[in-house]
Amino acid sequence: MRRSEVDGVKTLKRYLSLYRSFLSHNLKNEMIYRTNFLILIVMDFFFMGVNVVFFALILDKVESIGGWNFNQMLILIGTVGIVREMAYLTFRQGFLNIGDYIRTGEFDLLLVKPVSPQFHLGFRHISLTESLGEGIMGVLLVVTGYLRLPPEAALNIPVYIVFLLISLVIYYSFCLIVNSAVFWIIKSQELNTVVYYFMETARYPRDIFKGFGKALFTFVIPVSLIATTPASILAGKTDPRLLLLTAGVAAGLLLIGTMVWRVSIRHYSSASS
Amino acid sequence: MRKYLTLFRVNWQNSLQYRASTVIYIVGYGLYISVLLYLWHSVYQSGKQMGAYSVSDMMTYYLLQMIMNTVILSYISWDLIDQIREGFFSNFLIKPVNTLAYWFTINLSGKLLEIIYIGTTLLVLYLTFGKYFVLPPDWKTGGIFLICLFLALCLSFLLDFCIAMIAFWLIQVRVFKFMLQYIIFFFAGAILPLDLFPEWLRGIIYALPFQYIIFVPIQIYLGKISVSWDFFLRELAWIFFFLVLARLMLARGIRRYEAVGG
Repeated sequence: MRRSEVDGVKTLKRYLSLYRSFLSHNLKNEMIYRTNFLILIVMDFFFMGVNVVFFALILDKVESIGGWNFNQMLILIGTVGIVREMAYLTFRQGFLNIGDYIRTGEFDLLLVKPVSPQFHLGFRHISLTESLGEGIMGVLLVVTGYLRLPPEAALNIPVYIVFLLISLVIYYSFCLIVNSAVFWIIKSQELNTVVYYFMETARYPRDIFKGFGKALFTFVIPVSLIATTPASILAGKTDPRLLLLTAGVAAGLLLIGTMVWRVSIRHYSSASS
Repeated sequence: MRKYLTLFRVNWQNSLQYRASTVIYIVGYGLYISVLLYLWHSVYQSGKQMGAYSVSDMMTYYLLQMIMNTVILSYISWDLIDQIREGFFSNFLIKPVNTLAYWFTINLSGKLLEIIYIGTTLLVLYLTFGKYFVLPPDWKTGGIFLICLFLALCLSFLLDFCIAMIAFWLIQVRVFKFMLQYIIFFFAGAILPLDLFPEWLRGIIYALPFQYIIFVPIQIYLGKISVSWDFFLRELAWIFFFLVLARLMLARGIRRYEAVGG
């Protein structure tokens, strides 16, 4: 192996072990509030239930929504839940705290640590429980929808998982870009509400968009890809062009996100003293 | 009265300071609504109809929902809960103001600014979906709609205030509060018009007060229900009920209040 590769593996190992210790630290913290944990799960089940009812009521009147029937919709709704839980297990919670870091000047501490601030911010706060109910319910919905549809090639399941990860990259990049604005406006609550609505709108199939809306929700705010693309693989709607498009948008957005973040971080003025 | 006017002005200036975040919030919510409009557009393409709603009714329903979500619904409980938890609530105990009136003023002053922003967002949505947007059938209906909006504003504020009062009893109140707010949102008809729910559920929903916050005003706007006096009396009775409850919870809560960190 070349020297740069050895360094790369070393960095990766270091970040993995950091992630492990962040995870165990956060889990211990979460275990303290057991009632909170239960309320969160009940709440998630309720939210997901509302969504299923919403589409059931519509599909009671019409045969499909943009070509998606009820079982296919179950996969789509479930996929949103799974991506959300994956995000909470990685970066999502950290971005919810960014406003506090900036306002109090605690962000200084992040900048002097021997870890990339983007990594530190993204993975210091991990939450298993924040979205656990959605994750569990998501898996249940995907499995139910999948089993009730005509059988698909078994190969589709690993492809589905790969595209879940690609969706996670899209979600992360969008979160990074939106939260970069925090260096200017200091408050991050509203920014994260926007990120919340981003995922809320992901559960509507891409096929409902037309014209200007379709372009907007593909390239600028890619809500039409984030759940529709993975779900389409299990729903028997695989379209290689859509898969390519999604992978391309994910790569492009990650690049832009990192660039925006680097420019924005220079705008940080410490507030501590 | 004058001290409340001053409060109104101070809070208005405060909100102006954070105007960027408000604009961002409204733009985000506008995008969410536009996705829903695309959804309904696609659903109606099949030629079928949802209940008694034409495609224009449905689009108007969600556009009005968007306005009311910002202009009517109260969100003061976020701040109020923080103040109780961090001990800043002590300030009210020594100031010569009525706590309820204080927060109602804060609520109103924040709303006025948001009305201006939401107008701008609406204009953009109007350019895309304008041909579906309908106006109330006549001036009288429009007037009654505005009265209903004001009553909805009061009801929503009192509900939000009661929710915030829970912070006197529970430490970890934010999650619980979020759930309550979502349930109110759901039963107010913000997610789906209430008359599209199955028969058995409608019986429960119509007995609850939450329908007055979003569903009822929109029904009046669309000319789908005609208003009678006993209808207003029922809404006023609910407002009175929550006013008494809010004052009771405040009085009881203050007795339990520990002034953490104060």
